[in-house]
This record gives sequence, structure tokens and C-alpha cells, in this order.
Amino acid sequence: MTGRTAEPATEAADDDGGELLAGTRGTSRRGLRRLLLVGTAAVLVLGGCGFLHAAHRLNSAPSAENRALTDTEATARVAGEVGNALARVFSYTPDGTAAAERSARTVLDGRAARQYDVLFDRVRGDVAEQRVTLSTRAVRTGVVELDGDRARLLVFLDQTSRRGTDAATTAPAQLTVTARLRDDRWRIVDITAR
Amino acid sequence: MKRAVRVLAGARPRPLPALALVLTLVAGGFAAWTGQDWYRAAHDDRAAYAAQRDAALAAGEQAVQNLNTLDHRDLDRGLDLWESSTAGELHDQLASGRDEFAEQVKAAKTVTTARVLSGAVTELDDRAGRARVLVALRVTVRASDGAKTDKDSRMLGELTRTGGRWKLSALGQAPVGGTPAG
Repeated sequence: MTGRTAEPATEAADDDGGELLAGTRGTSRRGLRRLLLVGTAAVLVLGGCGFLHAAHRLNSAPSAENRALTDTEATARVAGEVGNALARVFSYTPDGTAAAERSARTVLDGRAARQYDVLFDRVRGDVAEQRVTLSTRAVRTGVVELDGDRARLLVFLDQTSRRGTDAATTAPAQLTVTARLRDDRWRIVDITAR
Repeated sequence: MKRAVRVLAGARPRPLPALALVLTLVAGGFAAWTGQDWYRAAHDDRAAYAAQRDAALAAGEQAVQNLNTLDHRDLDRGLDLWESSTAGELHDQLASGRDEFAEQVKAAKTVTTARVLSGAVTELDDRAGRARVLVALRVTVRASDGAKTDKDSRMLGELTRTGGRWKLSALGQAPVGGTPAG
């Protein structure tokens, strides 16, 4: 097609592959045609590479890779699971922290699990002795980052505690939480108080 | 040009036009495929939505920080920034209470600074230009006698997009002990 425009007008009619293959005319036109074909191919390949590069840049932009809110289902799921997990592991009654610690084994992992063990080794005695009840509720959960099997969230918690027969007091807590999806379940791997 | 082509063509034993034609067609196919790929990426609604989400978060965090920053020695600049970071009802409130508030801060001689610890967008309506954000904030107040107090607060902000920019249209502390939502 590009070859056609470059040919003299009078020869445009028989300008097709058959005539080229026959090779009875001069080599100059054949060469020109071939050069144009190769040139066109080179331009197309270069253009294609440009498209590939541009598409890759768009797809791998940090904002596009973060699925927070763009994938509503996954966002709601990780927010729900992490909120519930925090509520369960930070709620206990004077009769024992066993239920909370059992939950912790299924929903905490890595550094968060180690932090939790250290914390509960310290409070376990006090809880029974001072008849402490703690109940934790996730009041707001925001997903900062969601990338496949990794998520970072900001969680606002309300923690209501009661010591013996004292009146209950509620305190706010703000946490940033890192979670990982493992065996189709979000597990909290790091907790930082804010 | 013509001579150059002739020389080039003559140097080769026999042209392979069929091969060149096939190569060109393959190259065309490649270009069409990658072009389509690029077009899809460039017109991806999800990417545009993600970009709005990030813009709303950045603007929200900055606005919340601005509204928790004020120096009694430079009230006008601070309060101008308050007004330029806000829109709608919040903007009107700040503008109408500006003089009174300026007097209070001038008398108290306080310097307030804020640092955003973390923030997240919880809702985004791209078309309506509305978003909600959570921001965890550390506010430092330096009193006239030099005493410094830190206070952590958690804020809920509502953003409205006006003229392509996200601005705060409502801001408040997340209630403690209230009813859960979102």
C-alpha cells in the first residue's frame, strides 16, 4: 500500500505481488518497494513498542496498582475481616483471655503475633486479679492500600474497659494495620498504634 | 535517493518481497494489538477512579493538617490557608467566624502545628465529586509560656471537588463511644 503511492502513476495498475515475483522489470522498483515494505514494518514495530511501553507505564502506575476502593468487594472484605479480628483479639472478660488468645492464633501472624504474646503475658495476671473486662470495637476502617495479597489499613477503635465494679470507660485508639491474605484469609501481620 | 536505492537493490542477489510483505503484515498486527492494549489502559475507568482516590486523599490530608495549624504571629496567612483548603458550609463557617477566632488566638498567643500520622479514603463518588476520609493526626500546641502539649486526634473529613480540586466541606472528630458506622 505504501509502495503504491511511491510508484509512478502509470504503473500503479499492475502493482501487486505477482508482478514482483515474476521479476521481469528493473531491480530499482523492486528494491524501492522492498525498502518501503521493510521501512513500514520497522515503523509499525517501533510504534508497537511505544504502545507497549505506554500501556505498561499506565498499568504499573502506583495509583492503578492500589485496589483500595477500586475493587469494592475486596476492599469491603479486608476491612471487615481486619475490623472483626481486632475486636476479637482485644476483647476479654475477667474469666480469662483464652478466647481472645485463641482468636489471635488464627488471625495474627508474624510481628503482630509476637507483639500480642508479649502484651498478653503481661496483662494475663492483672485481668483475673483486678477483674478487668475489655471490649473493643472497630468504629471506622479505611483501606489505605490493597495490592493482591497485601493490605494496609487505618482503623479507629473504641475500647471500653471496666475494672471490678467501677464504671466503664471508653478510650479511642488509632491503629495502622498491615494484613496479608494467606489460605484465603486476611491475617494481621503488623500493628502500629497511632 | 533514487541512485541510493538502485545501488542497494542491485547489491542484493534476489529480493524476497513475499517475506517482506509477511513481515509488514505481522508488524501491523503487532502495532494494532499493542495500540488496542494502550487505548484500553489509557481509558480505564478504574485507573481514573484510582487517580481521583489518591488526589482526594492527598488533598484531604493536607487540608486537615492546614486546619490544625495556626501561628498567632502569622494569623492572616494561616487563616487564608484555612479558607483556601475548604469549600461549602465549612468554608462559610470559617469565613464568618474568622475575626472572632483571630482575636482569641491573638490573645492566647498559641502556636499550633499538626502532623498527619495516617489517612485513608473510605468513600468516593467520582461523578458527584464527593469523598470521605479518615485521618489520624498529632496536634502540637505551644502555649505563650513555651509549654508544649501533644494531642492525638482522629478526624472524619468530607471532601467536595470544586473546579477540579478536592476541598474539605466538613470536618469533625470521630466520636468515641458512639454508634459504629463504616
